[in-house]
Amino acid sequence: MDVFGSFALILAFVCAVYAFAGGIGAIVTRHPLLVKSTRQAGIATCCLIFLATFSLEYLFFSDNFANAYVVSHSNRDLSTFYKIAALWSGQEGSLLFWSFLLSVYVFSVLITYRNKNGELMPYVGVVMAGVQIFFLTLNNFVASPFKALAVPGANGAMNLVARADGNGLTPLLQYPEMVIHPPNLYAGYTGFTIPFAFALGALLARYPGEKWIHLTRKWTMIAWMFQSMGILLGAHWAYAVLGWGGYWGWDPVENASLLPWLTGTAFLHSVMMQEKRGMMKVWNVWLVFCTFALCILGTLLTRSGVVSSVHAFAQSSIGTWFVSFLAIILVVCLGAYLKNRDYLKSENQLDAIVSRESSFLFNNLMLLVACVAVLSGTLFPVFSEWFTGNRISVGAPFFNKVNIPIGLLLLFLTGVGPLLAWRKTSTESLKRNFGWPLAMGIIGGALAFALGFREFYSLVCLILCVFVASTISMEFYRGAKVIRTRSGASLFTSVVDLTMRNTRRYGGYIVHMGMVLVFIGLAGAAFNRDTQKEMQLGSTMQIGPYTLVLQSVDSRPERNYTAQRMIIEVMRDNKPIMMLYPEKRRFVTTVENGTMVAIYSTLKEDLYVVFAGQSPDTQLPVIHAYLNPLVKWIWLGGAVVVLGTLVALLPNRRAVLVLAGAQEPSTATQTLQPGRLTPSVITREGHD
Amino acid sequence: MRRLAASGVLLGIALLLIVPLDAQDLSDRAKQIGGKFMCMCGCSQVLTQCNHVGCTTSSSMLKELNQSLASGGSETAITQMFVQEFGTKVYAEPPKSGFSLVAWTLPSVYLALGTVLVVFVISRWRKHALEPVAGTGNAAAIPQELLERARARAARETED
Repeated sequence: MDVFGSFALILAFVCAVYAFAGGIGAIVTRHPLLVKSTRQAGIATCCLIFLATFSLEYLFFSDNFANAYVVSHSNRDLSTFYKIAALWSGQEGSLLFWSFLLSVYVFSVLITYRNKNGELMPYVGVVMAGVQIFFLTLNNFVASPFKALAVPGANGAMNLVARADGNGLTPLLQYPEMVIHPPNLYAGYTGFTIPFAFALGALLARYPGEKWIHLTRKWTMIAWMFQSMGILLGAHWAYAVLGWGGYWGWDPVENASLLPWLTGTAFLHSVMMQEKRGMMKVWNVWLVFCTFALCILGTLLTRSGVVSSVHAFAQSSIGTWFVSFLAIILVVCLGAYLKNRDYLKSENQLDAIVSRESSFLFNNLMLLVACVAVLSGTLFPVFSEWFTGNRISVGAPFFNKVNIPIGLLLLFLTGVGPLLAWRKTSTESLKRNFGWPLAMGIIGGALAFALGFREFYSLVCLILCVFVASTISMEFYRGAKVIRTRSGASLFTSVVDLTMRNTRRYGGYIVHMGMVLVFIGLAGAAFNRDTQKEMQLGSTMQIGPYTLVLQSVDSRPERNYTAQRMIIEVMRDNKPIMMLYPEKRRFVTTVENGTMVAIYSTLKEDLYVVFAGQSPDTQLPVIHAYLNPLVKWIWLGGAVVVLGTLVALLPNRRAVLVLAGAQEPSTATQTLQPGRLTPSVITREGHD
Repeated sequence: MRRLAASGVLLGIALLLIVPLDAQDLSDRAKQIGGKFMCMCGCSQVLTQCNHVGCTTSSSMLKELNQSLASGGSETAITQMFVQEFGTKVYAEPPKSGFSLVAWTLPSVYLALGTVLVVFVISRWRKHALEPVAGTGNAAAIPQELLERARARAARETED
């Protein structure tokens, strides 16, 4: 299987080179056969990468300890579940996994548009093949996962060997989230290749109109959704596994995942300006370019050791490859832009300052400021070392101070944006739309203040959350009321009906509502409490309204580790409410320890209990308990964000009312009298 | 039976194969000052938040911090002590002096520059909108094709 996998990867590389070079030939000659053959080469590349990936997974499942990568990341006792995750647990395998996910996207694009957009697709195919060539170069010649295990022999030659068992998987990765978090994050990173390929392709081809925007919107949303899920699952993993009581530590690798998410979010908003008003064409193209470049930069930071991080892979020379690729991307993008910048001439005009357009501009400004602030903070240790010779760390306190105000401004704009009309918003409409949400925000703030929310940022955050939730609810209510009046259906049915009539708009509102829930959860962080105590059997510990009683301690051997478990009874008002089992795991093969946090989670707060260690003086177990308010809202918010994105991806269920004269050129010859336009119903699939 | 259970518990505790950890009882002041330093074990976490499995660095740093505070050490003295021991990498946030000031000023610079740019863009777009269009004032003179395009655009822009 080693040989099979290696051969598949080499062949994939050859096919990708053909798809790239042949694609350029097809663009120049426009020969139909060449166009078809390069497309098929692209499909073959993807299939060969699938085969290579499956063959590596087969090596894991068959415990083939003659393969160096399998030896380093698996062992016989590793459960099936984690043998899947072992694929992306190391540098070589994760790069192959990148190629795999990229191929899933490329394959889907090539199949979906095989008979469509003939002018654009050869360009898109060339860009996608170019990206694939880069990753296949790494897979084949820099970090191959198919290297056989070898030791130097007596004569200096390398002898192939096989081990009886492997080293096992890093304990920190042996958690359910690690089986789903990296694939989601990688699917986000790789997914942004598709909008990049369409944007660059359209620019190179001077593809007329906004069609590339329509074509890529869904791909961008899919990538964005995976990126969001990846970030939130990573945060949940950090919360449930690392045992430090938090979920976001502004680690360079966490920051790296946030950067393309921020620019991707900016693009998903500003793209509406281009679709509806033909504005911001240059900006949108560069947002897509930057998002893709940030994905590559994020990978560079994770894998090169440029910045220190607990998440990073082992330091290697692979960073040079990524820097070179990043430089090529920027040169190609800049060249394409300079050559064809007249193609991006926009119909930029703004009828009023108070309008949806302005709110999108400020939304983009805040997202971009957040992005560059996080980026410069992340890279500051490197810059400080260059300029002063001393590496100055930039940790969570800095990022919190800088990003909390920006986040709150963004939250404010989330509420304001939908209330403003396109082109111009009248004073009357401002009063009508802002009155109730503002009142609700102030009432919510007063209630929060009365309930003890005295920390400034948390209070502002809660006021804004109520304000934004009110604006979104009002939007749903107004629309549903009209449907309800006409159809007589219930309010809930009318809301569903309304959402399905314009999935993009109302799906977007659901995403905003999800973000509100996330912000509510973040507001709770200001009130986190913790306490730590050495505990004897039967002794108690108090945190907030909870009393923890250490009932007993046990040890249970599992297949791959031995768990030492604290059995703790949780009481409230002298009544037992549940048992918690925080534990330490000792992994047999790696001889490393892992933590398993026990969490009692409610909407109000999380009781988070960690078995922190053993006191060297008394030999008693040390229990660290945290009381983290509102954390559950973050995970709920994440689920709502994903739901909203899925809704926005759905096609509209029903026909919408449009002006027949505007849609059917054949009617243009009819004499139309101003003010007497006859509306008719035309089904428009994928209306937005 | 109780003896057996007690033996089991003792055995369980004896089997705890974890790195010993000091149960630090941190004062609020220690927490506040400790929040300004990084744990130097390489976990990239703030000192008071490091609960890294097997981390002996954070416990020894916290012990030093507690001892300094107990002996009346000021925040500046503690900072100097840690910087001397670990270098500038120990800061959780850059100090607001010297080259590090750049890190603090950059976000404000981005915001200021971005705002100026957005205001400039808005004023330019407004100028375009206010420019008079040739031939206005006579609806009958508008070509049919232009009218159709305008209708299509109106439909597109109002559908949301």
